[in-house]
Amino acid sequence: MYKPIKDSFPKIGKMDFATGAAEDGRVINTNQNMNKKQLLDIAKTWFAQQDWKAFKFQKDTWQEYLKGKNGLLNAPTGSGKTYALWVPIVLEILQQKSRKKKSAKGLKGVWITPLRALSVEIEQAANRFAQDIDPQIRVGIRTGDTPQKERAAQKRKMPDLLITTPESLQLLLSSKNYDEQFKNLNAVVVDEWHELLGSKRGVQMELALSRLKAVSNNLKIWGISATIGNLEQAREVLLGPQTPQFENSVLIKANLKKKIKVQSVIPKKMEKFPWRGHLGLHLLDEVVPIIKNSRSTLLFTNTRSQCELWFQKLMEKHPEFAGEVAMHHGSIHKETRLWVEQAIRNETLKAVVCTSSLDLGVDFAPVETIIQIGSPKGVARFLQRAGRSGHQPGKQSVIHFLPTHAMELIEASALQKAVKTQAVEDRVPYLQSFDVLLQYLTTLAVSNGFYPEEIYPEVSATFCYQALTQEQWEWCLKFITTGGETLHTYDEYQKVTVEEDGKFTVTNRGVAMRHRLQIGAIVSDAVLSVKYIKGGFIGSIEEFFVSKLKRGDVFMFAGRNLEFVRLKGMQVQVRKSKKKTGKVPSWAGGRMSFSAQMSELLREEMYIAAASADPDLAKELGITTKSLELTALQPIFQRQLLESIIPTKNEFLIETFKTREGYHAVFYPFEGRFVHEALGSLLAYRISLLSPISFSIAFNDYGFELLSDQEIDMQQVLDNNLFSNEFVMDDLYKSLNATEMARRKFRDIAVIAGLVFTGYPNKLVKSKHLQASSQLLFDVFRDYEPENLLFLQAFTETFEHQLEEGRLRLALERIQRQKIVWKKCEKPTPFSFPIITDRLREKLSSEKLEDRIKRMIKSF
Amino acid sequence: MKVNLQQENFIFDPSGVAYWESKGILLIADVHLGKIAHFRKHGSAVPQKAILKNFEQLKKVVDTYQPEKIYFLGDLFHSAYNSEFAYFKTWVQEQQADLVLIVGNHDIISPTHFKNLGIALKEEICLERFLLTHHPEEREGFFNICGHIHPGFRLRGMGRQHEKLSCFFKTKHQLILPAFGTFTGKYLLQQSKNNQIYVCTETEVILIPQKS
Repeated sequence: MYKPIKDSFPKIGKMDFATGAAEDGRVINTNQNMNKKQLLDIAKTWFAQQDWKAFKFQKDTWQEYLKGKNGLLNAPTGSGKTYALWVPIVLEILQQKSRKKKSAKGLKGVWITPLRALSVEIEQAANRFAQDIDPQIRVGIRTGDTPQKERAAQKRKMPDLLITTPESLQLLLSSKNYDEQFKNLNAVVVDEWHELLGSKRGVQMELALSRLKAVSNNLKIWGISATIGNLEQAREVLLGPQTPQFENSVLIKANLKKKIKVQSVIPKKMEKFPWRGHLGLHLLDEVVPIIKNSRSTLLFTNTRSQCELWFQKLMEKHPEFAGEVAMHHGSIHKETRLWVEQAIRNETLKAVVCTSSLDLGVDFAPVETIIQIGSPKGVARFLQRAGRSGHQPGKQSVIHFLPTHAMELIEASALQKAVKTQAVEDRVPYLQSFDVLLQYLTTLAVSNGFYPEEIYPEVSATFCYQALTQEQWEWCLKFITTGGETLHTYDEYQKVTVEEDGKFTVTNRGVAMRHRLQIGAIVSDAVLSVKYIKGGFIGSIEEFFVSKLKRGDVFMFAGRNLEFVRLKGMQVQVRKSKKKTGKVPSWAGGRMSFSAQMSELLREEMYIAAASADPDLAKELGITTKSLELTALQPIFQRQLLESIIPTKNEFLIETFKTREGYHAVFYPFEGRFVHEALGSLLAYRISLLSPISFSIAFNDYGFELLSDQEIDMQQVLDNNLFSNEFVMDDLYKSLNATEMARRKFRDIAVIAGLVFTGYPNKLVKSKHLQASSQLLFDVFRDYEPENLLFLQAFTETFEHQLEEGRLRLALERIQRQKIVWKKCEKPTPFSFPIITDRLREKLSSEKLEDRIKRMIKSF
Repeated sequence: MKVNLQQENFIFDPSGVAYWESKGILLIADVHLGKIAHFRKHGSAVPQKAILKNFEQLKKVVDTYQPEKIYFLGDLFHSAYNSEFAYFKTWVQEQQADLVLIVGNHDIISPTHFKNLGIALKEEICLERFLLTHHPEEREGFFNICGHIHPGFRLRGMGRQHEKLSCFFKTKHQLILPAFGTFTGKYLLQQSKNNQIYVCTETEVILIPQKS
């Protein structure tokens, strides 16, 4: 099935560590207790045999681990981080064996990876070392891809080392006698912790670890994280604030200086460069020579649909690439993904078009060149992608940035500076996620059952729930036992029952089954599998897209054109189609926002752009040279200056104009998407107080737009000082009620807390009677239980994770100091174009629904 | 809003019911009682108080029209028998009007439960030129009034405005009633020359004019 990698490192000699006879004549005595030095010598010898030199951070990690420390290792992809931790874990097993004749049962080490696509590489790394050291050590994988048969076999006898995902770990906690499996666990390693940290899967990990700390006697917890702004906090979240594990922990930084070179792909003819768009296909021909001149290339796209399109077009225009270029994204069938990953390693592929599915990854993938198509929306992510090239330590990494529209060229030069200064963003951890807590408590009730007095201290020692009050805890217990109500004669609520001795358990098999199926749903939408009518699995796809398809529609998927035939249960049945073009599935991949640092760099770049188009200003600022990007942008700047301005440091630009769509007002704070979401909603709300009006609001990283069927009285906006910092939070909260942001957050919350049942990929579940949209639920809670913690969570999450209160205040302060320049334009300007054409919008209205309907009808 | 169908006057009520004036018949489709209790029974903690909403709405329309007969056009009960039936029983006992249920696909509760409450069960009702059913049907010489679809309409206007509303959906020989139940979804339908769409707000029924 899976062939081990052929690496270029020659082996010098073979040593059988298990029996202790080395070829060089040295003898390691395994009959006595091995001390730390002996263990470390084994690792060093093995490294020497691979012709490798261990890095300082690797040796430091081995040392600290063997001292019994917990910790966080900050090391980039491709640095050898996998061996930093696999090595001491295996060594410890060796040591334990040397102490006892018989080895202990059950899991010894668990390795958590956020992407199951990575598990194979991690397994290989583990096996490579473990097999040489002690062939008896067994390594296994358990993810959503693992066949049922193998899972059952694992249940009977767990491997020593298990590679798994956060969801699969939760599933293990939901099986009977899980505590036995984890009793002899020495270590949990959470790989790519920065990816999990800012998500609810991170919270799942915090809770799982809080339990493992109690059931495993000799547990050490380690995280591995790429560079992010809040590394110290990342360690605290992983280990739990003020816990013994945190007190006994270290932060190790790899500090491998990697040279990264950023190169923009600049269009030859700027006139033809579009003002908007996100696909970047017009620059396809510029990419071809880059691919041809490189041994291997990864093309990173931002969404799966973009990935599909790029692959398709590349094959269409350059058929000579057939067989040399492949595609990789999270919805593609596992076998194909594995094949592609293997081919990257073997260098049998020239290029791979991919999404974030190849963002992470372990060592030795020898890619020479990286191309980023469209804004990466984050410096950390950009750096990480750049790091996928020149994987061998010391080599320079080259990343080409391909802008998808004119404004992104400004971003390109800002990114270059960000890379130099390493202006990476924070990952904000979640607090008080009641949905995940309710899910976790049900999980424990499903497996062994739990006693609240035992679990409460564990939960409240985590970072997420450090502020959990006794009342909130009681509320959660009540929620899972009586559905939040005081017992009622008519009520038949069934989930968790309390036994006589106070143990919380699930006795109903249906409840247990549905809960297990739902655990995986924390990450994704309802997912359907795509299959040919005659059989043959192609991949999986979100239900959202399928719901828009009619019989006979053709869509592009996994690089093929497929005709939709029918939906059968959780299966999308298709046949091949000869039609050239088709719809492209849109996947819900999250929209990201610029960090504060990146926004600042972008603003600075904008000021330089203003100077580049104005010789006087350039002289004043002492700017003599123009970057390639800004030179290329001059035609666009000239067009912008026809009717408007390029704002300088002291100016805040507002443009208004009318099109067939209605009256547009576009504002440019350059503060990143999330701040603009908040500012846009806030301003729309305040304007709507002046007179009844309805808005459609759009945002991007540069600014936001308020669109209405009535003209906005901008003079009144300015006269009333609607950018005021006063009552910001109060107004914002009210605007949230008026828009749908919190409502959308509630979707995930309802699924995770088990309020709506979504079914599960590839499993036909008779759940039709249990389907209701989370939107309906949101309304029911608003009308009948507005104090419900899950309902309130939708609002706090919007505030904390989307609106970034602090940044909003700073932005408002800055606007207060700036001169407002209001330009009444005849036509949309180049700056406004990407915003006004954005179709994902918020709405806000202060009109009566009946009045709105009548006005909408009038425009018919 | 008064609407004339086959020379008979009907009142379309914002709650989604239609009242046949000359016959004193109240037509109600897709109430989906029991849905909330069903969810709770399966471990989804929908607030129990929300159960009462449907009964409040029912009381309101009955008080307004004081009908002689109430015809439920199917899907009166969402699921298997559950505790919400007790609320329904109480409601039935307070009614003066004759109650008839035209059985829908969701009505899987044993007919005896309804019969014990004095509710007549029918597959369909032919009344003069009208054919009352749960599923939409076409029959020569009849005007069909039905439910099942949960019709909704997305209204669009200037400035990229849009609103999703439940609606009465009328074609030449058919009227589909909106779902009455509060905890139900909508199925969006398209406007064309051959249909009329009457959207419901809390307080009004509004006819959407044809696009010019």
